[in-house]
Amino acid sequence: MTQKITRRTALTGTAATVTALGVSSCGIGGGSSESDPGSGEITGSIRFQTWNLKGEYEEYFTALIDAFTEENPGTEVEWIDQPAEGYQDSLSADAAAGNLPDVVDMGPEAAYSLASAGMLLDLAEADPALADQFMPSAWDAMTFSGLGGGTYGFPWYLNTGPSFFNTALFEEAGLDPQALPETYEELFEQAAAMAEISDASMIGRLPAIETFGTYGVQLMNEDETAFTFNEPRGVELLEHYVDLYQGQGFTEESLNALQTGELDSFKAGELGWLPGSSYTMQELRDTAPDVYESVAVAPAITDVAPNMYIESLTVSAQSENQSTALAFAAFVSNPENQMEFAKQAAVFPSTAGALEDEYFTEDDGTDDGAIRVQSAAQVKEAVAWWPPAFSGESSAEFLREQIAQAVLGQTTPQEALDAAVDYADQRIETRS
Amino acid sequence: MTTTHHPDAGTDPRATATTDSTRTPGGAPQVRPSSHPRRPRPGTIARYIALVVMLIVLAGPLLWQLSLSLKGPDDDLYRRPPQLIPSDPTLGNFADVIDRIPVLAFVANSFIVAAIVIGGNIVLATAAGFALARLRWKLRPVATAVFVAAMLVPLEAIIIAQFLLVRSMGLTDTLLGVALPMLVTPLNVLLMRNAFLGIPDEMEEAAVVDGANAWQRFWRICVPQVKGVISVVAIFAFVGSWNDFLWPLIILTSEQNYTLTVGLNYLRGTFYDDPRLIAAGTIIALIPILALFVAMQRYFMRGLEQGGIKG
Amino acid sequence: MPRRAADRRRRSRHWARSPWFVPLLFSGGALAVVLVMTIFPFFNTLALSFTDATMLRDGRFIGLDNFRELLSDARFGTALLNSTLYVVVVVPLIVLLPLILATLVAGDGKLLGFFRTAYYVPVVMSAVVVGLIWTNLLERRGLINETLQWLQVLTEPIPFLTDRWLLLFAAMFVTVWMGLGYYMVIYLAALASIDPSLYDAAAMDGAGVVRTFMAVTMPGVRNTMMLVAMFSSVAAFRVFGEVYVLTDGTGGPGGGVVTMTMLIQREGTGLQARTGYAGAISLVMFVVLAVLLMLQIIVQNREGRKA
Repeated sequence: MTQKITRRTALTGTAATVTALGVSSCGIGGGSSESDPGSGEITGSIRFQTWNLKGEYEEYFTALIDAFTEENPGTEVEWIDQPAEGYQDSLSADAAAGNLPDVVDMGPEAAYSLASAGMLLDLAEADPALADQFMPSAWDAMTFSGLGGGTYGFPWYLNTGPSFFNTALFEEAGLDPQALPETYEELFEQAAAMAEISDASMIGRLPAIETFGTYGVQLMNEDETAFTFNEPRGVELLEHYVDLYQGQGFTEESLNALQTGELDSFKAGELGWLPGSSYTMQELRDTAPDVYESVAVAPAITDVAPNMYIESLTVSAQSENQSTALAFAAFVSNPENQMEFAKQAAVFPSTAGALEDEYFTEDDGTDDGAIRVQSAAQVKEAVAWWPPAFSGESSAEFLREQIAQAVLGQTTPQEALDAAVDYADQRIETRS
Repeated sequence: MTTTHHPDAGTDPRATATTDSTRTPGGAPQVRPSSHPRRPRPGTIARYIALVVMLIVLAGPLLWQLSLSLKGPDDDLYRRPPQLIPSDPTLGNFADVIDRIPVLAFVANSFIVAAIVIGGNIVLATAAGFALARLRWKLRPVATAVFVAAMLVPLEAIIIAQFLLVRSMGLTDTLLGVALPMLVTPLNVLLMRNAFLGIPDEMEEAAVVDGANAWQRFWRICVPQVKGVISVVAIFAFVGSWNDFLWPLIILTSEQNYTLTVGLNYLRGTFYDDPRLIAAGTIIALIPILALFVAMQRYFMRGLEQGGIKG
Repeated sequence: MPRRAADRRRRSRHWARSPWFVPLLFSGGALAVVLVMTIFPFFNTLALSFTDATMLRDGRFIGLDNFRELLSDARFGTALLNSTLYVVVVVPLIVLLPLILATLVAGDGKLLGFFRTAYYVPVVMSAVVVGLIWTNLLERRGLINETLQWLQVLTEPIPFLTDRWLLLFAAMFVTVWMGLGYYMVIYLAALASIDPSLYDAAAMDGAGVVRTFMAVTMPGVRNTMMLVAMFSSVAAFRVFGEVYVLTDGTGGPGGGVVTMTMLIQREGTGLQARTGYAGAISLVMFVVLAVLLMLQIIVQNREGRKA
């Protein structure tokens, strides 16, 4: 593996050390080579932080770093891999201390917070040509209109997934496992039918902000300064859930289920539908062989465009070796390295055109292959619906609690969404 | 795990100053003569039935964890009702844990932190407890209030401030930095204070008459009387430092310094978890605590009996 | 009362002999650690509570705005109620049950040692596992509901994990479950300091188990019981983990079982944290706890006088 990367990068990584032009003055020219967007001197040491990738992909990253430092003599990359839990806490401690690593792996919401406090480098400003190297939807996901339209992270890997259905439960409820739901209307209809006949439920979790997106709700206003998901379409979505709950279409337990809870119920064979990801199949095979037997896959349910999650590589504005940090982030997110990572980790690359690769277009006849091809097609249309300004955990929790109250009849759907919009709006205000 | 049972709880300076019955010299038991004939001492069948029931309720769940850690790839972890006996038992999960993470190095780090924390708590809490209980000084109420107040501080609210502080001392990414906030906990100080208050004044008075100074009274008279509680402090300190997660996570950056709880987090999958592996990891983490408990319990069981206090 | 005064006179006679700096030598180390690592950072947090600071931004002074917002925050009322109920229910159980347990396992012998160690297990088990076990037992199709339905005691499952009040009680149960071993250890050390001759005397008088417990054990560990009451009050008011694991990391359906600490954690951690607002919640929590302890002290003093 080490060899592969070295050989490949040798082909693309041209003239890495050009003359210094002073990166701090936003002079990052060129951009012809993916692995070399920086025209400042690429030298010195940087810290590179990932989130829980060492366990499974240590070899990949070690080789990646070796390749980069070989190509750029005089550079040194210290790799820090933070464990799964508490990543936000550790990031915020570093940020509060003004000690962010030079290149950090994070999602758009974290990047939005840090960027709003001026802690991240605006890549679009640093190199306008960068945008063309990535899928527009991925680049857009890291471009924050609410913060003046800057782009604050190199798009890295993407993830999306099909719907997973437990066909055993469909048969039990007298539903046709050949006609699986693909739109919300079909989903709600079949969910109601399932509730009437069997004990199992179709849906295991309340709608999250990205659900509103896939339902076609306008989440924010044009310039992304205020939330609007309390508009009629949002209320309509919520009303579906209220109706379904009254018809016993999902359990009380789902009212406070997170993604993990939903997944566990599906694995226990209690749930008809699971909005999955590209690695769900493997997970079912490993930990829930019984359900794995009867699982069927269909395109993700959406009325507009499917959802995707994006992980990005940000560059600290306080980095002392900014050009090196930029060059390294660009290197990690270049087409070859992303492709290799996507293959190893069962995720999807965010570089332009990468999904045209036959690895993503041709079904090799395996389960995993079929899901990969299907999901890759889905990624092309997908949108990262979660608005980066929808601040992390607390807004999501507040939204879920409000929705649960509406479902339980303690408030009306409109009141619940109004409250959630207020809460989220307040969070935007406090940071600008 | 949860901080709920490692509370920084408060106490009242005066309430604990009232006497334990042991302080009543020659305290005669306040039992009225009973018409019942001789009764067998505890240790009857009923007692053991109660013990076994509690065993099932309290320790039974550990079997669950053990079972999970022994389940193989063919076991369905989500089957309902859950299966306690693995159908495809294996020790492979333990091998995997050792293979995937440098368990020994993490354990060594955890032991270093634990040693500092235990040492700090034993020395500092015992000394402070003595000063609060058995020395007379003007600032004593103030000092007691400081420890009580510190118990009421919600740690969630100060963790970032603590981090910035430790950072300004240059102790981030060091094991000493990990140990620092736990070097002495208010709860342990107040436990020791309570223990020292329980010693009858008469014991000390004899020493005072002999002209013993504060140190001699502390070391020769009082400390031997509270050995039991000191061992409790040691256990609490050990468990607290061994299980602490968020603080070491925030303060440590390089893997070679990771403590076991932080390091075990690497068993979490990048994209999904294998519960078997996590269970195996937690079993490994449990062993040292239970071993210490087994080793220490004879100390807090005997305590004063050995000190030979007579009323 | 007179006895206490006598006590004090007696003490002052002997204890006045140490030079003034001796108490500071003894307590200075612990005081320094606590002042620097806990009290000082807490003052920082308190100062923040009058600002609109966030995790990444210094705030402006906004007076009492955070406290005003707190009063109109529905979650705050819920959290205050839940945490207070927690204290009321859990503390009496935690004061008494571990003491009974401790008397059962006190004594020599390998077998008792085994039981003691086993009882300590819940204290050291990981939160994840505790959550997994208890949700498996308590959920709608969990072991308890299935068994009761099979025995035809129930026709409908009991919604332990979804009904707001049942969920709160379930969490309290888990708290007591974990607290038994923890406080048992404190009591064991205290029991060891009771003069064994008192038990012999009680046995000679023919006192039964219950009477011995009431007449010898309880008075013998009275101070420790008060200490446990205080420790557990603070712990109970601050409850977090048990609710968290039983609700899959949420505050229950609709946020009905959110507690004070959960609120602080939610508002005060993470990159988007409103540290000012979280500081205000912390301040309120601190004050409530202080009042709670003072009430306990008053009650205990009154009882102490009666005794």
